[in-house]
Parts: sequence; C-alpha cells; structure tokens
Amino acid sequence: MTRRAPAWPTVLAAAAGAATVTLFLRLEAQWEIALLALMVVAAALAATRLGLLGRFEASSAAHPRFALGATLAAALAVTALLHDSHFELLMLATVALYVTACLGLTLQLGYAGVVNFAGAAFFGIGAYTAAVLMTHSALPHLLVLALGGMLAGLIGSVLLLPMLRTRGHYAALITIAFGILFRTFLEVNDTLGGPQGLKVPGLEVGGFSFNAPVFLGAQREASFYLGYTLLALLLAAGTFVLVKRLERSWVGLSLDAVRSDETAAAAYGIDVARWKIMAFTAGNVLAGLAGALYATMAGFVAPASFTFGDSLLMLSIVLLGGSGNPLGVIPAAVLVVVLPEKLQVIQEYRLLLFALLVILILRFRPDGLLPRRMREYFPGWRQT
Amino acid sequence: MDLGLAGQFLLNGLVLGVIYAMVAVGFTLFFGVLDVIKFSHGDVVMAGGFTALAAFAVLRMLGLESGMMAALILAVAAMAAMAVLGTLVAKFLVLPLKGSPPLNTLLITLMFGLALREAVRLFYPGGSNPKPFPRLLPENAWTFGNFTLRLDSALLLLIGIGAILGVQVLVRRTRLGLAIRAVAQDAETATVMGIDLKRIVLLTFALGSALAALAGVANGLYYSEINFSMGLLLGVIGFSSAVVGGLGSVYGAIIGGALFAALQTIGAIWFSVPAYKDVFAFACIIALMAWKPTGLIAERPAERV
Amino acid sequence: MRRLATVLALLAAACGAASARDTVQLAFIGPLTGGVAANGLGGRNSADLAVRLRNADPGARYRYQLTVLDDECKPNVGVQVATKAAADRRVIAAVAHYCSTVAMGTVDVYHRFGLPVVVWGAVLPDITYKNDFDEIHRVNGTMINQNEVAARFMTGLKYRRWVVIHDTTDYGKGHNQYFSEYLKSRGGEIAGTFPVGAEQQDFNAELTKIKELKPEVIYFGGLTPIGVRIRSQMDRLGISAVFQGTSGIVSDAFIEGLGPLAEGTLAFREGAPVDKLPGGRHFIEQYASQKYGEPPEAYGPFAFAAANLIMDAIEKVGPDRRKVLGELNATRDRDSIVGKITFDDHGQNTVALITKFIVQDGKWVVWEDSDYAKGRRKLPRS
Repeated sequence: MTRRAPAWPTVLAAAAGAATVTLFLRLEAQWEIALLALMVVAAALAATRLGLLGRFEASSAAHPRFALGATLAAALAVTALLHDSHFELLMLATVALYVTACLGLTLQLGYAGVVNFAGAAFFGIGAYTAAVLMTHSALPHLLVLALGGMLAGLIGSVLLLPMLRTRGHYAALITIAFGILFRTFLEVNDTLGGPQGLKVPGLEVGGFSFNAPVFLGAQREASFYLGYTLLALLLAAGTFVLVKRLERSWVGLSLDAVRSDETAAAAYGIDVARWKIMAFTAGNVLAGLAGALYATMAGFVAPASFTFGDSLLMLSIVLLGGSGNPLGVIPAAVLVVVLPEKLQVIQEYRLLLFALLVILILRFRPDGLLPRRMREYFPGWRQT
Repeated sequence: MDLGLAGQFLLNGLVLGVIYAMVAVGFTLFFGVLDVIKFSHGDVVMAGGFTALAAFAVLRMLGLESGMMAALILAVAAMAAMAVLGTLVAKFLVLPLKGSPPLNTLLITLMFGLALREAVRLFYPGGSNPKPFPRLLPENAWTFGNFTLRLDSALLLLIGIGAILGVQVLVRRTRLGLAIRAVAQDAETATVMGIDLKRIVLLTFALGSALAALAGVANGLYYSEINFSMGLLLGVIGFSSAVVGGLGSVYGAIIGGALFAALQTIGAIWFSVPAYKDVFAFACIIALMAWKPTGLIAERPAERV
Repeated sequence: MRRLATVLALLAAACGAASARDTVQLAFIGPLTGGVAANGLGGRNSADLAVRLRNADPGARYRYQLTVLDDECKPNVGVQVATKAAADRRVIAAVAHYCSTVAMGTVDVYHRFGLPVVVWGAVLPDITYKNDFDEIHRVNGTMINQNEVAARFMTGLKYRRWVVIHDTTDYGKGHNQYFSEYLKSRGGEIAGTFPVGAEQQDFNAELTKIKELKPEVIYFGGLTPIGVRIRSQMDRLGISAVFQGTSGIVSDAFIEGLGPLAEGTLAFREGAPVDKLPGGRHFIEQYASQKYGEPPEAYGPFAFAAANLIMDAIEKVGPDRRKVLGELNATRDRDSIVGKITFDDHGQNTVALITKFIVQDGKWVVWEDSDYAKGRRKLPRS
C-alpha cells in the first residue's frame, strides 16, 4: 500500500536547476538572459500544470538523503563550471549566504510566526563582529565566524522581553525600531568606522589564506573566490539540513502550533515563550553567521549595506519562496540576488520590481512559489 | 542654557512634534477602522510633498508662483491627490486582504510603500536628488535675545494643530465620525446597523492620506526641501508615535508624536554629538514598549479564541 | 578541394576583418544618482567625450568602449561595482570616483585584482597616501592645499571665530583635520566642532547650539545636499555668520537649492576654472558639440584628462593591465588639458593652483573677479 516515490524527479530537478543557474551566471548578452528568464517562467508554469512539482516534492521527501546529495552535487558542478570567473563565483557565494540567512528568517517567520524586520541588522552584527575581531584580535577565523553568529543571537535576546510581551503590529515595531537604531548607531559611531565602514581581512584557516590565488595543476588558475564559495555552500547545506530536520521533529510541530494559535498552544501545555525565544535566537544566529562570512569575503562592511530595505529584501525572499518551505528559499534567493545583476536594464528598477512582485504574490498567491506542503508523518506515502 | 535658547529648542521640538502627530493620527485612524497598519503612510507623506512640487511647477507656468495663495493651492492639490491614492490602496490592497492574517496586510502595505518610494525616485525628473521646495510662507522673523521666531514656523505650527484638532472634531462631533467610531468599535454590528462598511473604510483612508499629504507639504515648507527617502523615517516615527500613544486613540497619537519629538530634542541637547538623538529616541521607544506593550493609552484588545 | 578553398578563403577574410581595431574596455565609476549626481554625470560625459574623440581618430590602434558604473556615492555600492569592474578581465583600467568615501573603500579592491585606476574627483589625501598600492593614481589635487589656502585667505579677511560642521565620512573628517590644523596655526579660533550624518535632515539641534557660540564664520566640510540644508536652516534660526565651504559645494545644485540665500557663500577648489585651463577652451567646445544633457561641472576636465592618460598608455603598450600600470607609473610631465601631469611615488599629481569662489547673483564667481573683492559689496561682519 505504501509505495515509495521514485528518485528520478529529484535528479531531473537538480540537474535542471544546476544548468539554469550556470547559464544565468555565464550569459552576458541582455537578450539571451531575458530569453532564459522567460524560458524558466514558461517551464515553471508547465511544471505546475503537469503536476511535476508535486512529483518532485514527493520524491525528495521519500529520499531525503539522496535529494540532499543530488543538490550538493549540482551545486558543486556549478562551482566547477564557473571556477575561473571571479564575479560569478562571488554571486554564487552571495546567493548561498542569503539562503542561509533567509533560512534563519524562515525559522522565525515561517515556523514560529515571529516577524523580524531587522534581518539585515543581524546579518550586519555578524559582519561587523567579523570586521572588528579579525582586524584587532588574533582569534582563529573560524571561531570569529561562530562568534559573529553568537553575538547576533545575544544582541537579539535584548529584544526578547519587549517582543514576548507584544503581539502582531507592536512586535513588528520593535524589530523595525531596532533595525533603524542599529544602522543609525553605526553611522554616528566612529569607533566602528562610521559611515565610511571598515575593511575586513580575508579569511585564513590554518595558514591557508582564502584570498590567495588558487592553482589547480600547473596551468589552470581558479578564482580565489573558490574557497569562499565552497565554504558558503557548505554552510547553506548544513543550515538546510538543520532546518529541515527541525521542521520534521517535535520542535517544528511545537513551533507550528505556536504560530497557528498561541492561545490554543498554551492551552495544550506548550511553552509559547520558550519556543518563540528559541526560534528568534536561532534565526538570528544563522543570519549573523552568514553575515560574518559575507564580510570577510567582500572585504568591506558599511552601515549602508544593512538597511531596512535590505531587511525587506530578505523577507521578500522568504515570502516569494513560500513561507515555511526551506526549499523555496533557494530559487527565490537566486531570483532576488542574481537577476538584477545580470539583467542590467532592471538593475535600477530592482527594488520596485521586487516590491511589485511581492505585492502580487501576497494578493494572489500568498503561499509563495513553492507553497509549504501539509505535514506528512510517513514521508513518501502516497494513497494508492 | 539661557531662556532664549531653551525656547528655541522648544519651538523646534513643537514643530517636529506636530508633524509627527499628523502622521501618527493617520496610522491610528486606519488601525481603528480596520485593524490594519498601513505602512505605506510615510511614503504617502513623501508623495504628497512631491505632488505639491509638481503642482508648483504648473503654477509657475501660469505665473501664480508666490505667496500664501500658492501655498494653499499646493496643499489642496496634494491632499486631493493623496486622498485618491489612499482610497485606491484601501480598495485594491487592504480590503481584499481583510480575512487574512494581519501580517500579510502589514507586508503588502510595506511593499507598496517601497514601490511608491522607488517609483518617485525613478520616474520623477531628478527624483533621486534632494529637491528644493518653494519658500511660500512669509519669512519675517522676530528675535528676542537668543530666540528667533519666524512667522512661517509659527504658521506651520498653527496649521498643523488646527488640522489635528479638525480631525478630532470630525471624529467626535459629526455623523461621519460617528460612523467611523462605530466601525472601529465593532464592524459587524455597525454593518447590521446600516453603515456601509466599505464606504466608511474608503473615506477613512482618504481622510488619513489627506492629512499625510498636509504633513508632507508642511515638511517641505519647513525644511525647504524634499527627497524621495524622507517618508521612510517619518513613517517609522509616525508609527512608533501612534503605537506608543496607543493605537486607535487620536489623543494617543498626539501624545505619541509630542513624546517622540521631545525624546529627540532631549537627546540632541544631552549628547555632545546631537546625531545620537535618533538612537536615543528609538531605544526609549523599545523600552517603553517593554513596559507598556499596548501603548500609553492602552488598546482594549478583544480576541476570538 | 573547392570547398576547402572556399572555407579557407572565408576564414582568411574573417581574420582580415577582425584585424580591424580590437575593442578595449575602460570603466568609468562615479555617482550617477543621489545628491552629487551632477558631478558624476559631468565626469561621465567628459570621459565619454574623450573616448569618442579617440575613436574618431583614425590613427588610434584600438577601439575604446566605456563601461559606466554608478557608485551612488555610497561606499558599499562602490565596493560592489568596483569588484564587478575589477573582476571582469576585459576591463583594462578605470577612471574612478568623485566621492572620497567611496574611493577609500575601493582602493583595496583595485589592488586585489590589479586594476590600474586614475581618480578624477576625490580629494582625500589618504586615497593615494595612506597605502602603497601601485594601482592608484590621481589627476586632481588633494584637500591639503585647498584648506591651507582657505585658512590663509579667511584670516586675511580678519575673521577670527569659527565653528566647524563636518560630515562623519572620511571626506568630512579629512577637511576638519586639515582646516583646523591650518586655522589654528594662523591664530584662528574654533569655538566648536559638530560632526553630522551624511544623510541627516534636521540640523536645528546642532545649529541652535551653534547660535549660542556666536561664530563669525561657519566652516562646512561636506557635500552639496547637506550644505544646502545647513545654510537654509541657519537662516531659519537667524544665524548671520558667513558660510564657508569646500570644493564639495561648488556646484550649480547648491545655488539651485538655496536661491537668494546662497549669496555670499565662500568656497575653495583646486585647479583653475575650466576656461582658464590650458586646454579649457578646446574642451568646452568639444563638450558643447556633443550636446550632453548635463554640464561638465568642476571635475569634468579631470575625468577627461584621466581617460586620455589611460588611452595613451593602452595605445603605447597594448591592452594589458600590468603593462598599462607600468606605463602610468612612469608618467612625468605629460601634457593634458588640466596642465602637466606628473605622478609622484604614490601616484599623486600636484595641482598647485587653488581658486577661491564666492556666490554672487546666483553664480559661482572667482573671488578676484567679484564685487566683494573690489569692495563694492560687503560680507557680513567683515
């Protein structure tokens, strides 16, 4: 009676995704990119009509480890294909880091229903921590990255008291106020560089500097961003596994209960405050971690990189992809990060376009591109 | 600090407080009537300012470009345009999402505000640069020692207070106001009593947006400049003021606006680097929210369990 | 056999066609949007003019293409576009930056990727002097001379008491540092220093405090948008001090924003006004003939000179970043429309002349030509 879904939709999806991303990053001519974008949209619509999307999701749910492996393999393939181009690898790494941070936001918003308008601020806390600690102390860099995450979580916990006591709009106000406070503080404060920002040294692990040119064999020179990209992909993959596992566990169940109806959840004995704290803090730690790696890769941080608009961009990635669906974050992040860079004609209009896109989605398809599926207790089970 | 200087700080703070209060009253009206936070309100303020600027360009072509009359025409043009915009937002973005979680409405209006800001930046000629706003109010000044009172500052103060009091009178003393308060208290019963819910909502949004437009014109006249990003901070401050004062209460919005301006002024005087005043004011807001989660004039929330 | 011959012939023809000039890419980076966009657009047009003139020259070995990037006068955006330009192997060199704050952030990027850069408008000395990067050159002068002349001139006019307002970017801080130093050495008194945010709107708090200090002159180290706001709010509070600025406010946008309030504002800028430059007339004529939508503004000629310097280097050694870098580093007494260019060991050109400006009747007028210098009009409290 229970038949496990086949594995081929996953492979197909991973391969298609890898090919699309590579093409997107490689192509230069505007008309080619526009054409590719249209083809992707058409393919997506066709897939939805033919129910391929459902098949893919069932398949990946049935073979979770295989799906993860396939995705990782696809990501590595893309990296390998782009190994010698600086800017493409930089974009790939940026996408991976945004995926990590937005997965943190998914924990907060998609699961626990805690709205966080200061996502970019926590990203920035991690970034600035990396900037300060890498320049002024001799701590090992991997530890600095972890500290970036932890500091973001710690500072976020300052907001916990007001956030737990408020609901809805009031809670939203607190994170908005914090985001603005963070940016204004950085701009006025000279010790943290002020509006000029801070330079961040490159990542160095065990004597191996990530900024040094990379040679594969005698002739081929890869971009030095290769190291960062691999690390960012690793981080994103790890976060993805973590979030997926959390969702499927009783932790996820409790979070869902808290989001759906706080009063009912409390009536059933779920400690609402505890779960909100856990989700909020964990989400901020992830954002901080991603921010720290981003800072050392870009080599520069400034308050103007972490504005309210950037927080809104991160939220729109979560919403576009389907609030609560970790898988949706990936195509949404690719869309939001890569498309404006490649399609120069929309570069200027990107915030406007994304705002309009999110408005349309909230109005007509509030569940996002890849809506979150109903929780399944026996993955891959299909009624026959 | 001598009396004249203190007076100067007080005057500055008052004008700011009145502008913030105008924005806050809008927030509170929308919330009262539909339980929604229309986050694009700040950007409506900005759009009102730009509409006035565009109207000024037209006036200039017709040669009627100076004096209080021109200021009046600008204000009326901006208020009318924004009233229409507010109504459209209510009709197409807010009302259709009535049943869904309030977060969605917050987000959709937030995104609309972003879209409005970007649209002005991209499509208004020279929109991304700060634009000079015409000086239309008389600039006579009286100086008493360290204290300088300019006529236009006083006028703006009076107009702002007048507008807010006008809204308060409207809400408390007229039939329309009665309908608004009825809808705010209990929408279902109000419908049963024969009040056209949709019409009242649209009217309330028009009213709030017109008030925002007035705030935008006042802002432009006060600083002699407008720019496309001024709505963001103003919106957040207006929202904070409304929340701290207590959403749903017009008095609360006024108190909140005055409080925020006071916090900023105190911060400016206290810190040697006046630029810390925003950090100080927002930190106080967060602390206030922790102390009084539903605002100073507390909302009486009723929740269906 | 016939087919092979045709194919070979076609190939040969293709190669022949390809040996017509190769395209070489140059990048232009400047603030095309935002408060100082006028300067960025002027610089872009000037660089574009240089490229067009070069492409029209039949003796040129290469065909040049200008890749234009907008740094929005924000350091983080600047770093992003600089990375984009530098990471693109087809871009051989760049004409970069009007905003000092952006340049301070991007010098590391250019060094990391080995992209030779000639700065055309940023005046902060640290851009060339705080690092040992070979890649960074600059054709315009630094703010050191500007502030030295300013201090000397203003104390010469018998002013004694100042208040300094500066923005908190490296640009504003640099101006504060140098001006205060020179002023104190000439016996001027600085009653207070007020750092302000680069995007700040409301200055009433700072200005009210300043009113209490009763300065004769308010020195402003920052860019046009803030300058406009401060001057306007000064008037509202009844402060009648002289307003003295730097090269950052010498722009038409400053006068446009203030109207009659701009009258009597002083400012100092390195380099001569365009028409007094050696190649100035020629530049103005050529610029006008292209019918650009915006004027070249103060630093347009420098962008023009920078672009030409780079193209000269490419003509000589070919489109190779390292070779062009070596060629640029060896620039000595090169003629250009802004005078002779020599790069010292930090890649800095020396521009000795500082021009003093004052706003008179809605225009920036050179001090010596103004009614104020001739005594026909008076500055307040002079």
